[in-house]
Formats: sequence, C-alpha cells, structure tokens
Amino acid sequence: MDAQDPPIFRAVASSTRLLYQLLKAINFTNKVHVEITAEGIRFSTDHARVMQGVAHWNKTLFTSYTTNIPTLDDSNNNPDDEDDDPTPPSVTFQLSLPTLLETLQIFGAADAAARQARSDVDPYRSTNLRNNRPDAFSNQTLGMSNGTCSLSYNSEGDPFSIILEEGGVKTTCNLTTYVPEIPEDIPFDIEDLGFKIITQARWLLDALAELAPASPEKLAITASKTAPYLKLTSVGGALGSGGIDFAQGKDLLETFTVRKKKWSQTFKFDMVKAASEAMRIATKVSLRGDGQGVLSMQFLVEIGGEGGGVCFLDFRFVPYADRDDEETESGEDDEEEGMEVDG
Amino acid sequence: MVVLNFTLSEDGVAVLHDALACMFKFSDEVCLEARKEKLTLTTLNISKSAYVCYSFAANRFFSRYKFEGSPQYREKFSCQLYIKSLLAIFRTRQGGGETAPGRDASIERCDVAIDDGVGKKSRLVARISFRNGITASHSLPYEVKAPTHAKFNEHDAGNHWAISSKTLRQLMDHFGPGIELLDINTDEESNLVNFTCFTEKVQKRGGVNSETVLKKPLHTNIAVEMDEFDNVQVEDKLHIIISVKDFRAILQHAQITSGELATRYSNPGRPMKLYYKADGIKCEFILMTVGEKDAKEQRHKTPRPNASVKGPRPELDAASHRASSLSTSARQQAPPEPTPRTVAQAPQQPQNPTPARPRHPPAFDLRPPQLPPPGTAQSEDSMFMGPAPEDEADEDHQWAPVNPDEDEEEEENARLEWNSTSDPNPSTLRISSYLQKSSTGTDNTPPDRQTSGLDPTQRLSQVRGFGLFAD
Repeated sequence: MDAQDPPIFRAVASSTRLLYQLLKAINFTNKVHVEITAEGIRFSTDHARVMQGVAHWNKTLFTSYTTNIPTLDDSNNNPDDEDDDPTPPSVTFQLSLPTLLETLQIFGAADAAARQARSDVDPYRSTNLRNNRPDAFSNQTLGMSNGTCSLSYNSEGDPFSIILEEGGVKTTCNLTTYVPEIPEDIPFDIEDLGFKIITQARWLLDALAELAPASPEKLAITASKTAPYLKLTSVGGALGSGGIDFAQGKDLLETFTVRKKKWSQTFKFDMVKAASEAMRIATKVSLRGDGQGVLSMQFLVEIGGEGGGVCFLDFRFVPYADRDDEETESGEDDEEEGMEVDG
Repeated sequence: MVVLNFTLSEDGVAVLHDALACMFKFSDEVCLEARKEKLTLTTLNISKSAYVCYSFAANRFFSRYKFEGSPQYREKFSCQLYIKSLLAIFRTRQGGGETAPGRDASIERCDVAIDDGVGKKSRLVARISFRNGITASHSLPYEVKAPTHAKFNEHDAGNHWAISSKTLRQLMDHFGPGIELLDINTDEESNLVNFTCFTEKVQKRGGVNSETVLKKPLHTNIAVEMDEFDNVQVEDKLHIIISVKDFRAILQHAQITSGELATRYSNPGRPMKLYYKADGIKCEFILMTVGEKDAKEQRHKTPRPNASVKGPRPELDAASHRASSLSTSARQQAPPEPTPRTVAQAPQQPQNPTPARPRHPPAFDLRPPQLPPPGTAQSEDSMFMGPAPEDEADEDHQWAPVNPDEDEEEEENARLEWNSTSDPNPSTLRISSYLQKSSTGTDNTPPDRQTSGLDPTQRLSQVRGFGLFAD
C-alpha cells in the first residue's frame, strides 16, 4: 500500500552547498528535529533546553518540491498538530545531524580522494596546506557539480533517503528517522520585547572573537538607551576580562530600540559561541531580548546566485537565573567604572 | 591611580605583537618595566640561558606616552604578565577588505593604561578602538614584580660583527632539519665566517652496552665571505656555539624589524649579545654560549665522544668510530701477558693442573653431557681456567670444534674488529689460522688469543655442565 501512495515528501536540489551551510550553522547537537511542511523544511536543534537553533530550507532552494502531507484525519498520532489548528499540517521526525551533514557533503567526494592522493605524492602541498582542508573551488565545497540531490521521505517511519547523482555515480543514503521528541520552542514573547537591535553579523562575530581568547565562562549582553548602547562583556575568564561596546560607530546599529532604560542578561559564553558559524555566513543579525531575558538572534543569510533570496537562522538563548545575574552585574559595574577612569 | 598611560597606532600594535610573538618563543611570561623615557619588555627563558629585552622609546614609538608614577612607584613601575593574553589583544585585525569608513574593522588606536594603587584592582586595561566604531576593552591582571635583567659586560666582549639581518635570515634557510646547535667561527686565511650547525641528540641503539649513535649525523657548514659583514673583529678560529632555536627566533624578528643585526661576544661559556634597532625600538638578546668545559663534562657523563664541541670537527668521525669499537680495540691492544683481569679471576676457578679427568665439578651436572670431539680430550680440563697461558691455548684447541655456534660468533667478532680498526693482518684473526698456530706451538698463543679478541664472558669449565661438551 505504501508503494501505491505518493511519498510524503520529495524534493530535488542541484546544489547542496547552501543546504549544508544552513545546517552546519546549527550543528551543536547530535539530533536534529525535522519538520516538513508544504513551504519548506524546518530543522531545529536544542541544547539542554537553554539554547535552540532553527534553520529553514525554504522550498525555493529546491528545483522541485512536492509534499503529500497526511491531512488531519491521518495525523491522529500527532496530537500537537491538532492543537494548533492554524499551523499548516506537517510531518516531524528526528535525524542524526552529523550523518545528515556528512551525506550532504558527498558531492565531489571522488575529487577529495584524488586531492588526497595528490597531496600524498606532492610533499609541497601536504606540508603547506593542511591535508583535509578543502579547496575553495572543489566540487565538495561548492556542493555541486552537474549532479542532482534528491530527498525523499515515503511514509512515516521510513528512512529519510537522500540520493546524490554525479557523473554517473549514484549514491543512495538512507538515514534512520527517529521518533520526534517534540521539543517545545524556547518561549520568546514577541509582544514583550526588551530591546531590538539589527547590526552586521560580522561585528558580532568580531566581538566574540575578541573576547574568546580569554576563554570566559559567561557573556553579559547589555543594551541601554544611553552610550554604550550595546555592550558585550566577558565574565570569569582565566586571562582577564574584556568588554566590547558599540558606542562610537554611526553605521554600527541599523535598528535600535530599547524599551526600558536598560536590558542586561548573562549567557553561557560557549553557547553563544556555538552560533558563530551562523554569524560567519549571515550578513545581518537581529538581536532581540524579551521581558523574561530570553535572547533571540535572527540571522539573515543572503543567497547568492540566481535566486537572490534570503534565508533565516534563528537562535534562542535562555539567560542565567536572575540572582546570579545581579551578582555578576554589580561586579561588571565596578569594572566599567574603573575603565572609564582609565580612559 | 593610573601609573602608566600610552597610546599605540595600528602599526604600533603590529610591532608590539611581533615583539611579543618573538618573546613567546622564549618564555610564557613577560616583564613590563615602565620609566619616564621608555617602556621595557624583558623576559628570561626557563633555563635562564636566554634573555630578551625590548625597549620602546617613549617619544618615538608611542603616539602618546605618559608615565605618571605614584608614591609607590616614583621612578619606575614593573609588572609581569602572560604573553599569551597580551598576544590575543595586541594583534592586527583584518579590515575585512572594506575600506569605506565605518565598515573597516581594523584598529584605529589602542589605549593602554595601568592602574595600580592601594585598594585598587591591579589591572592592565587595553582599550582598542576600531575604525568601525566598536570599542573593545580588555583588562588583564598582572603581578607586580621586579624584572630580572641579564648582565653583559661590553668591555670584555672584544669580538663583534654586524650583518644585514636579511642576509643572515637567508642563510638560515640552509640549516638542516632537526639541528640544535650553531657554531660560529671565523677563518681569517680564507676570509670566511662559518656557520656550522649540528645536533648532538643521540639515540640508543639498543644492545647490551647501550651504545648510542647520533640521531642526525648531519653537519651543515655555511661559509660566508667576510665582505658580507660589517665591522668584523673576531679572534681567529674562535668557535662560539649557541642554540639554533633561539637564533632562529631572533632572526625571524630581526628580519621584519630591522636592517642590521650586530653581535658581541667574548669566549665560549660567556654570554653573547645580539642586538638591533628600529625606529623607536631597541632589541637586545643575551644568549649563553656553550662552553668548552660544559662540553667536556658532557662527554664524561654520556658515552658519546662526539660531544666535542670545540675545534674543527674532523674528530666527529674518528671519535664515533672509536666509540663503536671501543670494547674490542681495547682488548686488541692489550699486552701479550695475561691481563690483570684473568689473573684476578684465576683463583676463583676450580684449579686442576692434572690432566686426569675430574671434568665436571658437581655443581655443573645439570645437563646431559656431550661427546667430546676426538683428539681433544687430553687437555680439556685446563680450558680457560689455568693461570698458565699454555693451558689456555690447549683449551682453545679443544674448544673450537666442539662449539660451532660460538665459533661463528667468534668469527663475526673478529670481522667486526678488523673492519673497524682496519687491522693490517686480518688473517691472524681467523679461527682456523689461530687454531693451526695453537696446535703447533703453545708459546705464541697468548698474544694470538689477545689479538683475536677471544675474551670469553664465562669460563668454559663453568659452562661445561650445561651439556655443551661431552664427558
């Protein structure tokens, strides 16, 4: 009967590069939660319920995209869908994220093997280029050649299959699907925004790179109506502490609204750092904090080439508990004052 | 209270980074010493064999420099910091290829302040302003500590030369891999300065006497004409030896910093100074050179005669050669009379001058006896144990055919010997000829035995019981 039914989902893409890049940005856990809707695929990862990353594969990324999602009567075993009537019907399952990423890199794998062999022979290359470093123009990096990548998911419980064809070589990968955990999204109250700042993703990346060498434990983010407007401070580093402020630049912050006088929260540094891959590929970032202290980072990734569209990556972070927060804040304040005296 | 306050330009940050990166090759920590007219960074490596000192002139290197001092630190202030954390701060940031104002993420200026005093957190605060308007401030804890300075007596150091650091850096390309030491010496006759690099790293070759061989028996000599140098004044044939690792680190920095590198030194075992200057900075390195005495001591301690670091080194070959054949040649050159060792051991042996056949001492009865080879029986008992050399000869006579294995070994030994010592008369070492001699006459056998290097580790009488010989 399965064979007669059209598959739940089938899509074909000519390049896996962007698909790979988007997924890699949220690569901080083993399992990825997949949700297929008629508009695209949503991947979400979750770290100890305090950090969440979401990537979307919009259907525009594919050359063809068809879904046959069972309607309400079929989705009895998905009570969540019934609860949220307005949300479009969807199919959910989990996949192993590292495996999925590896699969999407298969294009040009033959290339890579050839390069490896070459570097073995040619000592200059092997000593001067790190062996496994991909060539910027290899098919593997570009994620394409004259091949195609087709994804399909036949029916619930079936493996998620990815077929990559390239130059007469056809690779079929069947990835085991797992029962979805239905992790709830970290609640973010869009009605109760503490602040909203849009800036270049690169500045955020630079700021983290600036603070990272001291290997701090926590990162405090402060948005205030007066200078320094936005300030990132590292707390608890072994080699000293640091702070970045975005006070001076004219074009630094595109949008800047702070509702109260000041919004300040502390997050685990390593978690925010886990989003740095997203900062690398994105052009802009929208930072928002809600009344509860949850931080949302939304990255806008521009798709080069023919489509010229945009993709979004969402991250949400739960802050350290308030009590902690106040303690560290008071400590920071001391330091800030000290710095002002120095300057 | 702010003790020190200075501002660096983007280039200043780069220069400071280069200096710190060079220091990092010597040590993990740096001592910063601030005075009114200059800022000094010094470090001493962990083995206290190398000292690095950079002085930055207050009025030239910095865009702004102010040593405020405090009641505690009126003249100077010094503290110690981790180089690693400084390196992370004072590094050049890439502009990201965007040159538009407000987009460029490169450094505009870097303000550094040291804040110290009673009731204050001791922090070095570096505030970096980027061209795009972002400001990063880092505060580093430090330890207030007086620096250790190495002393160098300029008057004693009569030898000196200077050379373009670029030229010297290029010479370094020819240094072999895995080398450790660099010998700098001059040859006035041929008007050359030699840079000889080598290593004394040895590896165990295994074996019983734990023989060691050179790991990298490669000696690279780079001869440079004296014309390349300025101000050469060096005692002829003076060999000064320094560590290549330090030398490399210095040259790397010298090349990017300055045009000319100069050096002063006196004798082996005394410090050597290398120094160069650039706009506003003075770099000074004091390296301990390997002394002759050190080398000799080393030679005594470790069984490697090739550790001789002084002198042109043709002895390397000869010496190592001697090392490998030490045990055998010693025996060969021994005088014909019985060596003291034989004599000393003799009393311990079960003496039995009579040719009756009490062949096994009861202690050796463990193994089944072997059949004696015909015709050798008469003198079996006295083998290797009699104090009289004639007996020994007889013993050998008996012994040789019995144990073909040992025979082979013997021959191998012999071969080794004449190969290594280039004995002019190898045929005398052959067991066969030796046996002939011993059978014909007993008088000349002792010297023969010595020559052949037959020095048994065990008396034959002791092994007799092991079943190698027949009753």
